[in-house]
Amino acid sequence: MGLIRLNLLIVASAVLLVWGTAWATVLITVEEALELAFPEATTERQTLFLSDEQRTTVGEESGAEVSSSLATRYVAKGPDGAVRGWAYLDTHRVRTLPETLMVVLDADGTVRRVEVVTFREPLEYMPREGWYEQYKGQELDEDLALKRGIRPVTGATLTARATTEAVRRVLAIHAVAAEEGTQ
Amino acid sequence: MFSSNYVRSGLILIMISVVCLTAVSAAGQTPDEEKIRELEREVAELKAAVEELRALGLAEDRLAEIERRLGILAEEMEDLKVGEAAVKVSRDQSISGLGPAASKVYQKDQGVSIGGYGEALLEFFDESRDDGSESGAVDRFDFLRAVVYFGYKFSDSWVFNSEIEFEHASTSEGGSASVEFAYLDYVYRDGFNLRTGLVLIPMGWLNELHEPTVYLGAVRPRTENRIIPTTWRENGIGAYGAFGGFDYRTFVVNGLDASGFSAKGLRSGRQKGAKAKAEDFAWVGRLDFTGVPGLTAGLAGYFGNSGQDLEDAEGDSIAVGTSIIDLHVEYRYRGLELRGLWARAELEDVARLNEALGYTGNQSVGETLEGGYLQAGFDVLAGRGKSSLTPYLRWEQINTQQEVPEGWSSNPANDEQLLTLGLAYQPIEQLIFKAEYQNIDDEAGTGVDQFNLSTGYIF
Repeated sequence: MGLIRLNLLIVASAVLLVWGTAWATVLITVEEALELAFPEATTERQTLFLSDEQRTTVGEESGAEVSSSLATRYVAKGPDGAVRGWAYLDTHRVRTLPETLMVVLDADGTVRRVEVVTFREPLEYMPREGWYEQYKGQELDEDLALKRGIRPVTGATLTARATTEAVRRVLAIHAVAAEEGTQ
Repeated sequence: MFSSNYVRSGLILIMISVVCLTAVSAAGQTPDEEKIRELEREVAELKAAVEELRALGLAEDRLAEIERRLGILAEEMEDLKVGEAAVKVSRDQSISGLGPAASKVYQKDQGVSIGGYGEALLEFFDESRDDGSESGAVDRFDFLRAVVYFGYKFSDSWVFNSEIEFEHASTSEGGSASVEFAYLDYVYRDGFNLRTGLVLIPMGWLNELHEPTVYLGAVRPRTENRIIPTTWRENGIGAYGAFGGFDYRTFVVNGLDASGFSAKGLRSGRQKGAKAKAEDFAWVGRLDFTGVPGLTAGLAGYFGNSGQDLEDAEGDSIAVGTSIIDLHVEYRYRGLELRGLWARAELEDVARLNEALGYTGNQSVGETLEGGYLQAGFDVLAGRGKSSLTPYLRWEQINTQQEVPEGWSSNPANDEQLLTLGLAYQPIEQLIFKAEYQNIDDEAGTGVDQFNLSTGYIF
């Protein structure tokens, strides 16, 4: 009896431990972010290999640093097989530490939402959820810039800058992704 | 034969890549960016090699296998870059050839965080006061502060953060070395997190956000020096979080020490966490609305006694009830930046406090202190890259002796109006250069205008 109670206690402790860990491991998992972005859609992971020319183009069009020729995106399709949108993962440095964003694009290529997947800087440097809504509907133009279409956050300017650059970079990658041989 | 050798070379390269990846993982080290880039280059080369092989007519099934392995490597590298979030992605997508141990590196936290900021200030004072008398003020060039942040992430839930400040460059010349904050956070969820240690009092604008690049002005507003005595930090415990469109912070901290209060304000009442008297505690709370991008509006309040067992001539303790409230708002739209602050402090037992501290006449501590400012700036380079050029204007009014106890008088020199006109230039967001002129008036006519130049950096 005592052994059973001990086992139950161990199991309960393990469950609590796992539950407690799960709370704070990441801000949102990639799966959760995809589910939020594309409910009732199936998603497929795709890896994009940019050529040197494409990488240069992305840098020029976005005005942001392109530190890798690899890009990860998920394509979301509805039950009818129609593309509902794309979700790109972008990891970059904020101040001294990195964050990973999921930039979700609509089928028409405009930004649907931006999710912070991981954020290693102190949370004081992370803008609130409502701030990210500014990116909704944005496309790669002059207005997608801090102090233009995007309002900065006092005390989190570097995060705001990094986020804006990431969104511009993703939109530029998306533009060249349609080219043959990218995937 | 040539093609076969090519394939063999390709496979050897792949094996080397796998070994490299495994080595990084097994060492349990944080993935090095250079290593990742190196692997990326290798994958890109291999992909090109596969295309060449396909052109040479190599068997499609062997090419498919190579491509599959390349895909795996690519995914691994992406996961290394994405970090711990990747762990949460279902691994039943399978990573052939790499066991669970290979994924541990994603869970490895990057523990230490280092940052910092600093600013130098050059002040030129007017040789005469507003009433024409000689000011006697000596121009000063001060390396005001050099600050280092150290943080350590024990786990996703437990985080330590600190700010160590060296003021005025040298302790042999009146400078100081202080811990500006050092706290332990228990990060639970957006709406509720705990913090304990030497914490920043969440009042006004600059007390929590005082890096030189985040505020306009070479010299901090006087209201945030004398009524909200930035940088104000005390030992305490509390909670913070965000819900809906609101942010909140609430702490219980050791109270101010009224023995440091003066007619100039509350600044010397800070205990700064240094052997702080803990006879009296205070509660401080702040609520900000941040639900609309560009807008922050809120209020903060501090309530507690500051007597810290200070006694009057009869040996009775003086409580010195202290209440400070502030209202603050900021609005940013494109290049425009508007900011306002109003703060008011009310003190009890001031007459007894004055007597206990030996003050006379117009030296009374204010029974009411009130101040505030309105500030506007416009970045004329807004949206044109990382540079900014912001002319700004700040109007401020402060009176640290708005009301004094009956039988005491106030010094009109403590009723001041300041008009600041300046220009801030940021070649990049982490550097700032400011130049400003301050017209400082007071009701006694003793105001001394000044011209300030400052340089600031953060990293």
